[in-house]
Amino acid sequence: MLDIFVRSIFIDNMIFAYFLGMCSYLAVSKNVKTAFGLGVAVCFVLAITLPINYLIDKYLLQAGALQWLSSQLADIDLSFLSLIVFIAVIAAIVQLLEMVIERFSSKLYYALGIFLPLIAVNCAILGGSLFMQEKNFPTVGHSLVYALGSGIGWLLAIVAFAAIRERIRYSNIPKPLQGNGIAYITTGLMGLGFMAFLGI
Amino acid sequence: MKYLGPLNKENPILVQTLGVCSALAVTAQLKPAVVMMLSVTVVCACANFIISLIRNTIPPRIRIIVQLLIAAALVILVDQVLQAFFYDISKMLSVFVGLIITNCILMGRLEAFALSHPPIPSFFDGIFNGLGYGLVLVVVAVFRELLGSGSLWNYPVIPESVYQAGYMNNGLMILPPMALIMIGGLIWIQKSKS
Amino acid sequence: MKNFSNRYIFLYITVLVVIIAFLLSLATITLQPYQKANRETEKMRQILTAAGYKEVPKSEVQPLFEKVCQKRETPSNKESYDIVCFDQSSGIVIPVNGKGLWGPIWGYVVLADDHSTIKGVFFAHKSETPGLGGEISTEKFCSSFEGKKIFDENGQFVSVKVVKGGVLNSTINPIHGVDAISGGTVTSQGVEEMLYRCLKEEE
Repeated sequence: MLDIFVRSIFIDNMIFAYFLGMCSYLAVSKNVKTAFGLGVAVCFVLAITLPINYLIDKYLLQAGALQWLSSQLADIDLSFLSLIVFIAVIAAIVQLLEMVIERFSSKLYYALGIFLPLIAVNCAILGGSLFMQEKNFPTVGHSLVYALGSGIGWLLAIVAFAAIRERIRYSNIPKPLQGNGIAYITTGLMGLGFMAFLGI
Repeated sequence: MKYLGPLNKENPILVQTLGVCSALAVTAQLKPAVVMMLSVTVVCACANFIISLIRNTIPPRIRIIVQLLIAAALVILVDQVLQAFFYDISKMLSVFVGLIITNCILMGRLEAFALSHPPIPSFFDGIFNGLGYGLVLVVVAVFRELLGSGSLWNYPVIPESVYQAGYMNNGLMILPPMALIMIGGLIWIQKSKS
Repeated sequence: MKNFSNRYIFLYITVLVVIIAFLLSLATITLQPYQKANRETEKMRQILTAAGYKEVPKSEVQPLFEKVCQKRETPSNKESYDIVCFDQSSGIVIPVNGKGLWGPIWGYVVLADDHSTIKGVFFAHKSETPGLGGEISTEKFCSSFEGKKIFDENGQFVSVKVVKGGVLNSTINPIHGVDAISGGTVTSQGVEEMLYRCLKEEE
């Protein structure tokens, strides 16, 4: 379990190893505070959706998964539905989160803007679900640990990046490159650095 | 004319920072980039049209689920039909099915445009955003394939004699971080022009 | 924005889900026979490609397959075929399957009669990145396996290694190794693991 946890934070880092969840990562990293908020939100969504999707996948969708209902249903294979079910679960959780954040922290709500609903299509989260399906974890516990690990990895990446961007603001960068341009290039360079972890 | 914004000034990737993940995944070669451009354009236009048609009946509290369900169902349906009748095309496309659904451009345009505009303008908004996105993909893909593998559309274009003279393909170009750096460069060019 | 009652919301989402589920199931069930036929043809084509019959037109795949392939009885009940290759020599087809970076990868390895020399391979993948891991299904990568041996001269099983950085720069005997795909490290490792596991059963 600890192995899964550490691996998913550093070596299989969603952003630097797989380049998932880039859109919101680039857009909501202008300052550390909102970046942290989004990071926590992503963590939270991952930690809820992955175990749910795990259970749905295992007991409803996989080939022969309906066996526990009755033996007649044993040869039904609903795996063609898995993508849409995963998406639906994620969207539902995100919608819930949107209402909660709007109620308790309107400042964060406005800072996140359109990128809150976009967590629903944050590739990191769907990617998490698909990776989990691929990795075939034995229990729900494993999938929860994996979700937390990936979430924290994402959080770390976005906070580190936001910190760099706050500093960049004081550097002398050619005008047209300021803002998004330099952000892309910085991420590219950070990604190159992180590729070294892949070899471990 | 008012729809042409996404091609340049409101480009989804360069300005709106939408759809970056997929831009990294499909731009190592030209062919997948073009396939992705066409599919995103079609899906984005259709989803925009449908959502816009029913926009007044969608309760705002569950709009995200509704949008995603419709978009995902559309993509999966198309994929199933292709698998049955155009197997060769579907083989090319099946890799991207997940990527199309999670493409933020789709969701971003549904949320920002289709929910508040009538069907026909939404349809065109979808088309031009898809094309604007594709434009960046194709430019990045041309450079990455040319410099990274020495070919275009899988045909080698750099003559053998150049290799013998000591030229080597730059393997770095086909790694995902290079796509980011190239997009950064494109933003630079685009911003300094306007 | 208008306000909607809770009852409306529940009703709305239920109707929507039912419609979508109905449409998708309908599509899947009616299209299944066609998809299955397509997949069968594709499988035959992949096996034929591995055996050296490249670019067979769609309509000729099945007759050709039935002519040159014969199902083989194996103790483990695993699907396997005897095949007559292009140069009239015979071989055996061994299906292999494993995991890439994003999803399953699979393929067919055709071994010559000595059970060691690889006559040809075909790899396919579900969702590897085009240009990186996706390169495993290209002719360039597949043809690099031709003539490799899975047993060393003492009859020890060594499989074929997929070497990062190039076989010639490593200590591995070039007869047991091929070059990995640059930028496709995880997929290359997947191919190596898949070959080792699936071919070991042939020992």
